[in-house]
Amino acid sequence: MLLGIFRKFSIISMFWTIVLFITVTIIAFFFQELASDPTLNIAMLYTLGAFITARYTEGYLYGFIYTLASVFSVNYFFTYPYGLVNFTMRGYYVTFIGMFVIGIITSILSTNIKEQSIVLLNQEKALAKKEKQILEIQKEKMRANLLRAVSHDLRTPLTGIIGNSLSYLDMEEELSSQEKRELIENINTDASWLLNMVENLLSVTRIDNVTAQVNKTLEAVDEVISAAVIKFKKHFPEAKVKVSVPDDLIMAMMDAMLIQQVILNILQNAYIHSKSTKPLELTVNVDEDNIWFKIKDYGIGISEDRLLNIFDGTGKRKEKEQLDGHKGMGIGLSICKTIISAHSGKITAQNHSEGAEFIFSLPKEKEEK
Amino acid sequence: MQQKISILIIEDEKSIRDFMKKTLESYGYRAEGVATGTEGLGMINSYVPDLVLLDLGLPDLDGLEIIEETRKWSSMPIIVISARNQENEKVEALDLGADDYITKPFGTDELLARIRTAIRHNNLIHKEKGKADKPYIAKSLKIDFEKRLVLLNGEEIHLTRVEYKIVSMLAKNSGKILTYANLIEEVWGPHADDNNRILRVNMANIRRKLEQNTGEPEYIFTELGVGYRMLEDEGEN
Repeated sequence: MLLGIFRKFSIISMFWTIVLFITVTIIAFFFQELASDPTLNIAMLYTLGAFITARYTEGYLYGFIYTLASVFSVNYFFTYPYGLVNFTMRGYYVTFIGMFVIGIITSILSTNIKEQSIVLLNQEKALAKKEKQILEIQKEKMRANLLRAVSHDLRTPLTGIIGNSLSYLDMEEELSSQEKRELIENINTDASWLLNMVENLLSVTRIDNVTAQVNKTLEAVDEVISAAVIKFKKHFPEAKVKVSVPDDLIMAMMDAMLIQQVILNILQNAYIHSKSTKPLELTVNVDEDNIWFKIKDYGIGISEDRLLNIFDGTGKRKEKEQLDGHKGMGIGLSICKTIISAHSGKITAQNHSEGAEFIFSLPKEKEEK
Repeated sequence: MQQKISILIIEDEKSIRDFMKKTLESYGYRAEGVATGTEGLGMINSYVPDLVLLDLGLPDLDGLEIIEETRKWSSMPIIVISARNQENEKVEALDLGADDYITKPFGTDELLARIRTAIRHNNLIHKEKGKADKPYIAKSLKIDFEKRLVLLNGEEIHLTRVEYKIVSMLAKNSGKILTYANLIEEVWGPHADDNNRILRVNMANIRRKLEQNTGEPEYIFTELGVGYRMLEDEGEN
């Protein structure tokens, strides 16, 4: 206990306690000279001093030292007999014990208040730290999922490319021109798929690893949309998309290449998987705080259990889907989520009565910095 | 017999160099390929090709250096081949004097179209200096530079002074990409704020006047983070 006190002992706190004590005593002399009933003022002044001491020093020690010193100081300087320490006068016991107890209680209370607020502050800090950890874990999980999806989704087309080209090289003589063409077409399809994957992966490198932030500039939404749609149609010339954007110019802070990638991924996903019977619809709407992008298809919809984890890259594809040659969009959609999160936006997928729709938002431009 | 147009390919990746050389030769060009920047610079100076296809990621020299060196004495068209989706690298190359860029991977059609555009523009610069500009015609859009008239489906489109400046600049360079900096300097002068918001706003207005659906433009295309490109003029050859 005593050791504990000494360990807490600090020259600086002691110094300020003494300074405060001397200041209070000097002011008390003024009251002694000038006030009509100086004793009351002086007692209150010393109590205030006890409060301040406890408030700005650590632990109970300094408040205690201060209070003890003030009891003696009042007795010595400001009560009869002046210039002597004398507690034997009538009623002095009660007066000075009272003063001592009041001083101690004041300093204990104020120390407690201070410590409580420190505890509270620490709790808040701990909470913030925990939240950060959770975020960190989520990010880690996302990365792990991504890696798993990547190794699967990259190997498959590469296997196709190597296999098909080897067949061609080994059996060039025996193959008919029709078979040769098929082999080359397979290589072409797999290579395109691979390119798509690689572009997605590269886009992730534009997101800052530590802060999960992106480099945003002010962009016109219709420019980004038209760029994405043109790129999409280059990949899938037979695909149909109906685009509608509001008449007003909408600008938003974003990394345009990344948002283009998001639109591209969702369009591709819808085109390949939904078996949509009508053109895809890409609509932009604006409300108070957000810009909403909606990509709607008129196809088979998305199964409920798939919807649950459609953005985390683990979504189990059904056997059937795996067999029909279309590789899953695992990476693409999880990258969409990563990108939109980095823009402080939201992304959701849901079914509507005639198919599925993906909606994502970007915060509206607040006045330029 | 017409002289074949000569093209120099500076690309370190053998398979891509071979593929480009074969394609270009089968389309009637004379193509040479080199693998390093030093060889490339040497060839540019000695062989003086009609056009250069330049990969920026060379093992020995920075591709940008080659552009700078060449531009000291020649305006021969340079088309940059970029493997990365880095807009600022493209912008830098264009601002240093490259005529256009093409991003890997690209198809044969795209490559040939870029080459044709670049060569045509280069010829225009040499042949028609000081001569009045021919009108721009593409699909239903016609721009008469002498009368400062923009016609869409035969109907006059009213553009503001700034909008007209932008459109005519893009049209005169149709098929070619113009960077934000290019356009801003041309329209607002060299000391203009490089904040391209004002350019975006004007472009948005232009699109609303010229395009049926601003989400799917027919005439003016956005190259994200780099600039704008206008549909190639059909009027000239």
